[in-house]
Amino acid sequence: MIRKLFPCFLFLLFAVSATFAADTTWVLKQSTLTYHVSHPLHQSEGTSHAARGKGICHDGQCDFLIAVPVKTFDSGDSNRDLHMLQVTRGAEYPMVTVRTKLPESAANQSTIDADLEIQFAGQTAHYSQVPFQVTTQGNEKHITGTIPAKLSDFKIEPPSLLTMPVKNEIPIRVDMTWAPQ
Amino acid sequence: MHLRSVRSASAFIFVLIFVLASLAYAQEAAGIISGTVTDSSGKAVAKTKVLATNKVSGQSAEAQTDFEGHYTIPNLAPGDYEVTVSEDGSKATGTATLAAGAQQTVSLTLASSQTAPPTLPSAPTPQKTEPQQNEPSLSDLGFAPAETKANPREQALLDKRTHMLKIHQRMGLITTIPMIATVITSLQAGGHKEDSATRDLHVALGSLTGDLYGITAYYAIRAPKIKGTETRGQIKFHKAMAWIHGPGMILTPILGAMAYSQKNNGEKVHGIAQAHGPVAIVTAAAFGAALVSVSFKF
Repeated sequence: MIRKLFPCFLFLLFAVSATFAADTTWVLKQSTLTYHVSHPLHQSEGTSHAARGKGICHDGQCDFLIAVPVKTFDSGDSNRDLHMLQVTRGAEYPMVTVRTKLPESAANQSTIDADLEIQFAGQTAHYSQVPFQVTTQGNEKHITGTIPAKLSDFKIEPPSLLTMPVKNEIPIRVDMTWAPQ
Repeated sequence: MHLRSVRSASAFIFVLIFVLASLAYAQEAAGIISGTVTDSSGKAVAKTKVLATNKVSGQSAEAQTDFEGHYTIPNLAPGDYEVTVSEDGSKATGTATLAAGAQQTVSLTLASSQTAPPTLPSAPTPQKTEPQQNEPSLSDLGFAPAETKANPREQALLDKRTHMLKIHQRMGLITTIPMIATVITSLQAGGHKEDSATRDLHVALGSLTGDLYGITAYYAIRAPKIKGTETRGQIKFHKAMAWIHGPGMILTPILGAMAYSQKNNGEKVHGIAQAHGPVAIVTAAAFGAALVSVSFKF
């Protein structure tokens, strides 16, 4: 009896091991990233839908990378967008990248506090415990939040209009939908 | 007689302002040093700082290499530079001689250092190295090479464009002062008024306005255009106004000279010279609308 059951047991053990050892990959399906700039005379926002992202989960830990070309941010005014591109050195450093590590269990939580490493304008800035809200839609995860970025974090000189500079704070609203690959 | 001396004075002011503006711009014609940092095996060294130091003034500027080891240090004054990069005890140095507005490439190779400490199995992974095996990389995301590649030439073009448009903005603001004064003095300069002193002042202010306007327009027209950019938003209206105040700034002084001559001859302003006032008002209104369109959001 034991001899008959032993191969089944081995097979079962192998199958379970294989399941736990398999990597899970998440892909960014849809995104809206919006920066906000404040000037005494007016407020402006620029939005990009061109971000791409991937997350690889291994041994209960997930590594995420999101990247978006600086040129894809659209504020509705071509002159403002070109000035933004110049002041953020977007031609020299065309991509904004965001890296973060999360436990795999974070996918089941309604709020995630993430430590972010952001590369932008040739500089790297770290943001700790940035809160994101997570809602589940089928097998997809909808994540929203705001990154409290500042121009000074990336050594960007504040642009000015009529001799008045914009505010240092440039919060970035994030709206993403992730799905397992 | 009066008109000739006013014209000479305004011509002198125009030349003086133009020369000063040109000198100010020439002093700021900046150079660029760019290149790639690799290690002894030819692999790109990412996220490492490159320093360019002017050998005479000692002033320095730095930049960080991207994922492909590229760096660009812009806005450098002309001169001789020492370019250095150091990493984990190894160092590489290069030199560059920059002319005004020029770009030099200095690529550096970090030799492996015998004194560098061995990498221990338990040492934390340095952030500057390539992503670990389980971490996604930029190449995994499927961006086209054109989207991820640095373009220092385009950056230099953007820098020049911004620099010139800043001057355009400042000169435009300065131009509003004599323009407003010209409009105010026009109330006492024309019609049945016989006050020639106010009329001369109006002419002088108008000439100054024209000179400053010319400089303002120069920096807007000569600012580099970025290929593939479609004009969108309120800037479209700003540019459209130029088709009104541009010809207006040419027509207004011509009609004004005719009106001035008629008044000096003791005549009442007549004929086409009568259009000087209305054309000037339309020109000033278009100028003001252009200024407002880039100052406030509608």
